[in-house]
Amino acid sequence: MKLLLLLVVLLLSLNVAADEADVTTRDATRDAYAQPISGLAETERLQFFKGRGLVRQIWVIPPSENPEIAGLGPLYNRISCIACHAGNGRGFSPATPQEPMRSMLVRLSIPGSEALGEPKSHPAYGGQLNENGVPGVLGEGRAEVRYSEKILRLTGGEQVSLRKPSLSFVDLAYGEFPAYMQISPRIAPPIFGLGLLQAVPEASIVALAEAKKSHGIKGRVNRVWDVEQQKTVLGRFGWKANMPNLRQQIAGAFIGDMGITSTLFTQENCTPVQKACQLSPSAGKPELNVGQLQATEFYHLALAAPRQRNTDNLEVQRGAKLFKQAQCAACHVPELKTGEFSALPAMSRRTIHPYTDLLLHDMGAALADHRPDFQATGREWRTPPLWGIGLAQKIEPRAGFLHDGRARNLLEAVLWHDGEGAASAQIVKEMSVFDRKTLFKFLESL
Amino acid sequence: MKLKLWMISTGLLLLSQLAVAAEKVVVLTSYPQEVVTQFEAAFEQAYPEYRLEILWRQSRDAMNYLHQTHSPVDVYWTPAQRNFAVLAKEGALRKLDIDLNGLPKKIGGFQISDADGFYVATETAGFGMAYHPAELQKLGLPVPTDWKSLTAPAYSGHVVLPIPSKVGYAPMLIDTLLQGYGWEQGWSVLSQIAANASLAGAGATFISDDVGSGRFAVGATIDFFAVSAMANGKPLRFTYPEKVGYSPAHVGIFREATHLDGAKAFASFVLSEAGQKLLFHTDIRKLPVRPAVYASKPADYFDPFASAQRASYDYDVASGLARQELVAAVFDALITRQHAALKTMWAAIHQAEQHAPKDARLAKARRHANWLPLTTEQANDAALQQAFIKRDGNTDKLELQWDAEITRHYALATQLAQVVLGGK
Repeated sequence: MKLLLLLVVLLLSLNVAADEADVTTRDATRDAYAQPISGLAETERLQFFKGRGLVRQIWVIPPSENPEIAGLGPLYNRISCIACHAGNGRGFSPATPQEPMRSMLVRLSIPGSEALGEPKSHPAYGGQLNENGVPGVLGEGRAEVRYSEKILRLTGGEQVSLRKPSLSFVDLAYGEFPAYMQISPRIAPPIFGLGLLQAVPEASIVALAEAKKSHGIKGRVNRVWDVEQQKTVLGRFGWKANMPNLRQQIAGAFIGDMGITSTLFTQENCTPVQKACQLSPSAGKPELNVGQLQATEFYHLALAAPRQRNTDNLEVQRGAKLFKQAQCAACHVPELKTGEFSALPAMSRRTIHPYTDLLLHDMGAALADHRPDFQATGREWRTPPLWGIGLAQKIEPRAGFLHDGRARNLLEAVLWHDGEGAASAQIVKEMSVFDRKTLFKFLESL
Repeated sequence: MKLKLWMISTGLLLLSQLAVAAEKVVVLTSYPQEVVTQFEAAFEQAYPEYRLEILWRQSRDAMNYLHQTHSPVDVYWTPAQRNFAVLAKEGALRKLDIDLNGLPKKIGGFQISDADGFYVATETAGFGMAYHPAELQKLGLPVPTDWKSLTAPAYSGHVVLPIPSKVGYAPMLIDTLLQGYGWEQGWSVLSQIAANASLAGAGATFISDDVGSGRFAVGATIDFFAVSAMANGKPLRFTYPEKVGYSPAHVGIFREATHLDGAKAFASFVLSEAGQKLLFHTDIRKLPVRPAVYASKPADYFDPFASAQRASYDYDVASGLARQELVAAVFDALITRQHAALKTMWAAIHQAEQHAPKDARLAKARRHANWLPLTTEQANDAALQQAFIKRDGNTDKLELQWDAEITRHYALATQLAQVVLGGK
């Protein structure tokens, strides 16, 4: 009887593994975040590599003999997607005030919201500080990050130094910032596994929001503007779930970070007072053509998520239990199911393990950016997926955690949790040293 | 007391921060982001008084940009050797008056830096063969040791070869092979490799993708694609032929550079020990040109200076650069446009040679198979080279003539081999 039960359990577990096997990757190298799901047809494989080429492409300032890769600027932060998302992974915050934001940006707005619910842009600087301008166009200015450190003592005597960033701005080319300027620094998030997250049905996310939770944990959806559909829909991507889908997220990054127009965002990123910017040539209308946007979107859709490693390790298994006991799993939901997904049918009806609920949570005053974004308040952040997080610093040794990269490792990230995450942070603080190590052994296996 | 000290040190720190208002240095390059990222961060850390502004353009576009606009560029730092030669000739570059000690101008007989000192090699990459060990083992094929290894019929269908008119690094790869074996024998080797190969164009995949995924067992390529992929975990290996050809990258400072001190600082940095060691990064894996840094190279890293001591190669860089387009056109005529016929021809010849190795007709078949539209002297003719750089109706006409002749010769070679095979 016992043997039969064991066999059933084994078969069930095999079934689950098979279910996600070909949409996740076993690759645990520095290339782990850049793997396609398996079983792509030849045309899909070529589309994937075309998209990869565009994500790796350093863009050219127009005019250029190569119009297909021209369009950078007039104002921009970085010159390619992978300048921020190195190895498709996460960015980091500068270590010193002098260090430029290499994989981080600063969102700007003024109090209030625009007609469609998005943050109200500053009349001179728009919605994002673009540090660089093409020749003849002044970059908007430079953000400097300074940190203040505070020491936290955990059970067992372990001391952890948490650094809190504060921003100041120099070389502002279009006037001083008003005192009421809303400022939100954000590191680049990883870009793999997003197709699978897009394939999670809206009803599942709403159900997660409505589910009863304990320990002060709530969670709610953001509702944001879908540019193509011209209506308000559920927000799913971005640090505040402020983007409805992958295509808009990508097109938003092209225009916001690199000044490259697309069919979704047709206007160059110049404000009315930025005259030189307005007179600067464009490479095309739009600069990122339809085929390129489709290829870039497909690449993102088809990037596999790394599969958990060392699952047979007893410490890892015990760490997973501690993760649940500490209520981490209430927001970092281990398992979701995808629905029918016509954009990439191979991703339909899969059981996946992203460790997110895609919901907004109040994370307390210390993490607040005081910049509402659609329905997200200044204290709310979307639960970031944890899959692949154990490889983050293998892929980018300086990879930071939390929205502004203040956490230099996962323990610091946990200890910053407040608001709805306060109870979990407290449980981790009070754990024995051994349990804490075991918990992080589990996180490193993801 | 402690507080006072803290305040003084903080004050000094603030003063020092105020003192370093970063001046920009404008660098034109075509390097990929991985290279730019590493050098940008390391340079700005070593020289906090400067900040890099990267302008990115492919080689041809870069020349147009430099010629057509009032260029704001201080430094040209890129793998585009011919551009540097042209710019130096035009007087656009200034002599590099920075410390160049410990930087040889040659790797063995292979000139890497400008003899007149207007541009200096910053790194190089070598040509060779990426292979998938497990795939080779599965197929029972030996690890290739030289380009000629890939002509063996056993490799048929398992090789990938880049097309020089489509793939940026390939003209130099092909030419180093042609100069290494000599014009006639070089084309014969290339033709037979191509008969075993799939041809790679300017698609979105790299040869390291094709070999790394096991789609092909061997690929002719430039080393860093494969070696970087290996260092990041791909199941690949890379081997160099006996005579290694190189594709160096250079740095040069413009005569009109606005930020001259910063430009010199950047050029000095990329050539310094610290800059040269960055080339060992797993995302870069280029070959340093400062021999001293090989003392701290990662395990199994190729050392071109040591290799040159074993087998020096007197490659004529100037000739190679001058005839790139012409060689690419000959490749397209002999190989790209005739690929199906070429495969049939060599398969028939190899089969016939096994069937009747001493049959005199096979020597004639090989002569037809190895027929070339140009002699080496014609390939080095400056007027013809220029015509293929500019491309016009005359070159189109010439290529049509080549096509007709090549078609005829390949048909005759195939026919002869088939006759030897008894009409098989």
